[in-house]
Amino acid sequence: MLRSSGPMPAVAFAGEVCQPPDVIASVQFKHFKALRATSLRMEPFNLLIGPNGSGKTSLVQAFLRLRTLAARAPANGQSAAPPPPAVETPAPRRPNGVPEIIFRFPPPFADIEVHLGGHSEHRLDLLQVRHPPGGDAEARWEQLRTKLSGIRAYLFDHYAMAGPVAPADSGELASNGRNIAAVIAAMQAQPTPAFARLQAEFCRALPEFTGVVPRPAEAGGLELALRLKDGGELVAAENISQGALYTLAMLTLSFSPRPPTVLCLEEADRGVHPRLLREVRDALYRLSYPTSYGETREAVQIVATTHSPFLLDLFREHPEEIVIASKQGRSATFARLSDRPDAAEILAEGSLGDLWFSGILGGVPEE
Amino acid sequence: MKVALLSESPADEAALRVLVEAVLSETIVLVQPGLRARGWPNVAQVLPAILRHLHFNTDAAGLVVVVDADDSVVHTAEHEAPGYFHPQCRLCQLRGIFRKTQKRFPPLHGRDRVLRAVGLAVPAIEAWYLCGQDVQVTELAWAEGQALGLAPYTRRELKWRVYGTDRPNLGFEIQRAVESVRRHRGDLRRLETDFPQGFGRMAHDLRDWRQTAPRE
Ligand SMILES: [Zn+2]
Repeated sequence: MLRSSGPMPAVAFAGEVCQPPDVIASVQFKHFKALRATSLRMEPFNLLIGPNGSGKTSLVQAFLRLRTLAARAPANGQSAAPPPPAVETPAPRRPNGVPEIIFRFPPPFADIEVHLGGHSEHRLDLLQVRHPPGGDAEARWEQLRTKLSGIRAYLFDHYAMAGPVAPADSGELASNGRNIAAVIAAMQAQPTPAFARLQAEFCRALPEFTGVVPRPAEAGGLELALRLKDGGELVAAENISQGALYTLAMLTLSFSPRPPTVLCLEEADRGVHPRLLREVRDALYRLSYPTSYGETREAVQIVATTHSPFLLDLFREHPEEIVIASKQGRSATFARLSDRPDAAEILAEGSLGDLWFSGILGGVPEE
Repeated sequence: MKVALLSESPADEAALRVLVEAVLSETIVLVQPGLRARGWPNVAQVLPAILRHLHFNTDAAGLVVVVDADDSVVHTAEHEAPGYFHPQCRLCQLRGIFRKTQKRFPPLHGRDRVLRAVGLAVPAIEAWYLCGQDVQVTELAWAEGQALGLAPYTRRELKWRVYGTDRPNLGFEIQRAVESVRRHRGDLRRLETDFPQGFGRMAHDLRDWRQTAPRE
C-alpha cells in the first residue's frame, strides 16, 4: 500500500442533501471596527474561532443591528433613518472610512440587499434596502423583515439564571437566560412533548440528574431546580454548576417550539466540561439541521464563537462550518477553513484543535 | 474481568463493550472513570500514560484500544510477520507503544502487565456497524479502493448509511451503535470475515486473554 497522507478522492455519494442557509447568505464589511474589508459567506451553522479583537463579536453586533434597523425600516424598503449620505465605496485602508455592512440573502430573497451605514463605525443607524421595483419584491422584503426580527444573541449568565422570575416572563429565553425557569415551566404546561424531550436529553447528557423542575419561589415567582439521581433531592439552581445550567439553556433553545431565526451564541463552550461539548454541538445542530434530528420546524441559522480546541475538534467532518477570524494589526478578516486549498490535507493530519493551537490555521493572537 | 476501553466517543465505547463481551463470552467491569481520546494522533500520545496508570493505579486486567483508520495504511497479514512493524499502520504503531511502554513494568496487582487488544476500524467504526447489512462495506473493498486511489465510500457517507445523517445526536448514535453490534453478539464470524485485520486481530488478542487473565 503506497498511500501516504491526505484523503483519497471518493466515488460520488448521493445521500447528502445540501441545506442552503435559511436567513442570511452573506455579509460584507467595509470599515466596521476591525472588519475593514472582509466578507463572509454564511452556512446554516457557523463556528467562529480567532483571537480576541478579531471581529467575532462585531459580526454578532452587525446581526443585531440588522434586526433593530430592519424592524424600524418603512415597509416600502427605503432607508430606515433620515436620508442616508450617498454610500460611497471608500478607499481601502483609510483609517476612518465610512462604515458599511452589506447583507445578502438566499432565495427567494436573493434579489434583496440590505446596506447598513452610519457616520461613525461605532454608530450604525442607517439602513437601506435595495430590491427590484414592484409589489412582489416589496412583499418578499416584508417576509424577510419578519425573519430578521427573529435574530437573537445569547451570552448566558448562571447567576441571572438562578434567580426567581415572574411566571408570565415565559415568552422567549432572555439573552442571558435569566427567565429559564419560566420558559421551561411554560413548555411543561404545553400538551406537546417538548418538555419531556428536553428533560430526557438533559438527563442523558448529565446522568447525575433525573429531572428538571421549575418550582414556586418567593413572591409568586418561579425558580429552577434539578432532581438528583442519588436520593432524589432537589438542588436549587444557585447550587448547580455553570456548565449544567448552560447546557440546560442550550437545550431549552434547542427544544423551543418557537426558536429564533438566527441564533448567535458567544463562547458556546463556556463553563462546559470538554467531554460534554458534544452535547453542546448536538443541541445547536438540532436547531440548524432540524431534519437530521427528526424535527419538523424551520432551520435556525447559527453563529457560535469559541476559544475551545475541544469544541473545534468536533467539526472535523464539516470544515465548511468553521470560520477563522484573523487579525493583522488593527484589521481583521474572516476565512472559511474549507476554502483553503490545503484543507483536505490539513484535516488528515490530526486533531483540528491541536492544529489551530499550532498556528497553521491562523486565528491565533499576534505575539 | 475488569477492562479499560479507549476510544473516541461514548458511542464507540458502548459498541465496543458489547463486542468485547461477545468475544470473551463474559460480562466485563469497566475501569472508572472511563478513558477517552481525541482521535488520531492523540490516542498514540496518551497511550503510554494510560498504560502506566492502568498498570500501577488500577487492577484492570486488559485495555482495549480501537481507532479509526481514516485514510491511513490498513493493517495486513504481512504486518503480522515476526519483528515486522509498518510505521504508517495505526494498529502496528499502537502495538509498538504497548510493547515499548510495558517492557520494564514490574508485576503488580496479580498480573505481569495489562493485556492488550488493539482494533482498527477501517475506515471508521460505522463500517463495522454496517457489517451484514451493506455487503459493499468491507475491509477488502476499502483496501482495493486505496490501491486504485478511489475510495469506495467516505466516512461521512458511512455515517449517513448508519444514522441517516452525518450529524447524529449522541443519544441516537449510541443507540444505533449498540443495536448494530448486538446483531453479531451470537456469531462474530461475519465481522471477522469482513474485517479480518481491524476487527479480527482485536478478537484474536481478546481470545488470548482467556489463557492469561487472572480469574476472579
Ligand atoms: Zn499493521
